Amino acid sequence: MALLEVRDLSVTYSPRDSAAVRAVDRVSFEVHDGEFVGLLGESGCGKSTLGNAVLRLLDRPAAITGGTIRFDGQDVTTTPEDDLRSLRWVDLSTVFQSSMNSLNPVITVRRQFADTFEAHSDALGNDLDVDARATELLEMVSLDRSVLSRFPHELSGGMKQRVALALALALEPRFVLLDEPTTGLDVVVQRDILDRLRVLQARLGFAVLFISHDLGTVMELADRVMVMYAGEIVEDQPAAEMVTRHLHPYSAGLLGSYADPRDQVVEVEFIPGRPPDLSQPHAGCLFQPRCPVAVDACRTVHPELLPASLGQVRCLLVEQSGDARVVLEKAAELRRRDQVFAAGLSERADAEPVLVVDGVSKVYKTRRGLNTTLTQAVDDVSFALRPGQVTALVGQSGSGKTTIARILTGVERPTAGSVRFKDEPVDHLGRGALRKYRRHVQLVFQDPFSALNPTRTVAYALSRPLRNHLGLTGAEARARAAELLETVGLSPADQYLDKLPHQLSGGQRQRVVIARALAPEPEVVVADEPISMLDVSIRAEIIALLDQLVRDRGIAMLYITHDLLSARLLADEVMVLNQGVMVERGPTLDVIAEAKDPYTRKLLAAIPRPGARDIA
Amino acid sequence: MLYFVRRAGFFLATLWAAVTLNFLIPRLQPGDPAQAMLNRLQGETTAVNPAQLEAIRKLLGTPDGNLLSQYWDYLGAICTGHFGVSYSYFPYTVTAMISSALPWTLILVGVTQMLSFAIGTLLGAWAAYRRNSRVDSVITLGSTFVGTLPFFWLALLLIFVFAITLNWFPDGGGYGGGSSPSWTWLFVSDAFQHSVLPAVALLITGPIGWIIGMRNNMVQTLGEDYARLARAKGLPRRRIALTYGARIAILPNVTGFAIALGSLLGGTVLVETIFNYPGLGRLLLEAVSNKDYPLMQALFLFTTIGVLTANFLADVTYGFLDPRVRRAEAV
Ligand SMILES: Nc1ncnc2c1ncn2[C@@H]1O[C@H](COP(=O)(O)OP(=O)(O)O)[C@@H](O)[C@H]1O
Ligand code: SF4
Ligand SMILES: [Mg+2]
Repeated sequence: MALLEVRDLSVTYSPRDSAAVRAVDRVSFEVHDGEFVGLLGESGCGKSTLGNAVLRLLDRPAAITGGTIRFDGQDVTTTPEDDLRSLRWVDLSTVFQSSMNSLNPVITVRRQFADTFEAHSDALGNDLDVDARATELLEMVSLDRSVLSRFPHELSGGMKQRVALALALALEPRFVLLDEPTTGLDVVVQRDILDRLRVLQARLGFAVLFISHDLGTVMELADRVMVMYAGEIVEDQPAAEMVTRHLHPYSAGLLGSYADPRDQVVEVEFIPGRPPDLSQPHAGCLFQPRCPVAVDACRTVHPELLPASLGQVRCLLVEQSGDARVVLEKAAELRRRDQVFAAGLSERADAEPVLVVDGVSKVYKTRRGLNTTLTQAVDDVSFALRPGQVTALVGQSGSGKTTIARILTGVERPTAGSVRFKDEPVDHLGRGALRKYRRHVQLVFQDPFSALNPTRTVAYALSRPLRNHLGLTGAEARARAAELLETVGLSPADQYLDKLPHQLSGGQRQRVVIARALAPEPEVVVADEPISMLDVSIRAEIIALLDQLVRDRGIAMLYITHDLLSARLLADEVMVLNQGVMVERGPTLDVIAEAKDPYTRKLLAAIPRPGARDIA
Repeated sequence: MLYFVRRAGFFLATLWAAVTLNFLIPRLQPGDPAQAMLNRLQGETTAVNPAQLEAIRKLLGTPDGNLLSQYWDYLGAICTGHFGVSYSYFPYTVTAMISSALPWTLILVGVTQMLSFAIGTLLGAWAAYRRNSRVDSVITLGSTFVGTLPFFWLALLLIFVFAITLNWFPDGGGYGGGSSPSWTWLFVSDAFQHSVLPAVALLITGPIGWIIGMRNNMVQTLGEDYARLARAKGLPRRRIALTYGARIAILPNVTGFAIALGSLLGGTVLVETIFNYPGLGRLLLEAVSNKDYPLMQALFLFTTIGVLTANFLADVTYGFLDPRVRRAEAV
């Protein structure tokens, strides 16, 4: 008998002011004692909803509308809250998606442990030494006992996440649900936490349901992987099987977005389009509009989840052909036509640089009371940006990447050294000249959600730079805005011009931000981690767009990131920054394949390699 | 700790600024402000006696006097409670007038404010605890409805029903006509009788804001991840509601409450006028309508000090309740 048994579970959101959404649709699966199961899918596919339903934590307007959940043989689908309490945390615990906010802000870490123990004193006995046990738990996640007397806001994101993990293990549960437990953390920190998790799971033997949109990690950690799309499970296979012989076109699409940046030729794929609107009924396969191998029947017949290979798959083609390999090959071939982005070895001729940074240093003075501390943010850095080429700037948070970006755009003046744009010394420009200069150097930010004013339409966002820098107004500006949208792949543009940011997906928003940066026809673009907030499945799409723009328009780009795979795909040259000093630099493949700097090596190690566990 | 020292320093600095402004503003007028005021007074009445002149001089200064020594005298007068003689209640001093009115207001409005806050917070928390239930609807809709009624209308309705029609309570005043304030049982019970209707009026409208504020804050905090995690941890419902809901939701209300207490004087004018109650609010109204400048100035100074003190207390309590501000500011 399985530890967790979910049968035909459906969850519906019925908001008061809009149509009901069937976020989870007749989902069935099992998790066995000690098993590590991954649940994969883009955002909005219903993963968190399913997780909350399993934990019986759904709140209005969500409700379970069908099916059963059994834990250890006991049906808990409708068990009243008071009876669930003895099960909670003792047997089932969890780490939430955003643990940034899952600790009570007004009580210390010690109290958060203590009230967990108090709530289960019947199971634990009253004479438990809270401090000793909490210390032991914190040590398991590599935290010091001094954390106990701190408040959540005094901890970094990574520390909070460790505390959340330690809390989840406090009562030695049999099942832990992890909902994107490391999303939003620095890659190296993510890596540390996940390694820790794997060790602990092996040692303590709890079962895990690990939810993520980051399939590299899932593949690497899990024994079995389930892929969820639009509220349904579409494939369920052992992890090794999923890596090498996945059957569903959606799984293939997700897996395609990973590659090893050290390979001679790196290819990533993406799945164009977005998941369907679940408040509408759909006949046929839900993936059909995005499926590269769809046949006619897919439009009318809804496939069932049927046994295939070592697991189960929901796809008509697999159902019909029986031989899954054929389907896969066909899919791969079709995808390659237009949904692959590859970085090869092509060398580009060196053009004259547009922007030259020569021996730039920046020292920040911070005054606290009478003491003045000097921080060397950037130390003697030199490089040049050339038209049609991308230079990646890689480094840990705090290594000075953003300071360099600010110096390039003239927001900050260097303490020493010079920045030249063509013949102009950027570090000596007056206010008026600086405004003119900014037209040529545009920024694309990390967070597409806060970069756009939520109350203004896309057309307005684009019209601003068109008016300020090019003097275009009215119909002329609108026509140009439409052109820009087409350039960034938002086509037909008429559909997007009058939309507000919240009506767009994350990827679409980032495209609008890019269009806005292109509006004044800049010669230099500084992109500060433009894809780190996006779903893995659409990152490749944005990279492909940036690449195309750079080549077609002869833009010189500085690409700031800590994702080496995207650097490899996009950049001609990589620079690695460590505490303000440039420690490594050279053609992308050389730097990545033979990384010497410890931070670069750490970053490389942090890139998930699906299936690496089998090889190791 | 640093947080509290800082707050105290800030409080003393603003207090000093307020007191000094109170001193400077009348003196910034051109000419001799005391003479100007005397002229105004003499236009309306016949006699201005020397004591009044002296009081006004002290308050407003002489045109040729040394500003610094005047300032010194003024500070001394404030510290010892010498605000001069009231013009409209001559020969009573301003201090005497204020100290006889103060207890009435403190007891009536102070007590009802605190009760309102307690009742409002409790009802709001209860509504949030039972959100989307019938209890919640009754509390939320009820308080929204009561909130739309004008205060004076409610007060007059109470007087009409309970004082005039049923004759259960007196229709106004602080105590019966024959008696005079003293600590006798008779007087106290009489005063209590008189305070019932204004207190009820205040207690009907007072909690509304706290109810709605508390409910909305707490519904929000209970929806936060930490409250959901507490549920997942199997904490008892009540524990979650207190430590993960009410404890955090009450924070903004605490500041609001301290500020409301500080600006108590403004709110009392209406109720004391309607119920003809002998407190500070009515005193202020009379001071204004009689152009009793010494009294007005003292009352304004009191109000300012009240608001500042309340803000200071709010900051201090907030610092105790919310570790985030305490440490964030200490950096
Ligand atoms: N409060 C809500 N009201 C209505 N629909 C919601 C609500 N929360 C989530 N949904 C819908 O449920 C679906 C699944 O969301 P979620 O479970 O958060 O997905 P995931 O965790 O895979 O990103 C989405 O389509 C989303 O639009
Ligand atoms: S059923 Fe058809 S549309 Fe759906 S995944 Fe299979 S081939 Fe594609
Ligand atoms: Mg989610």
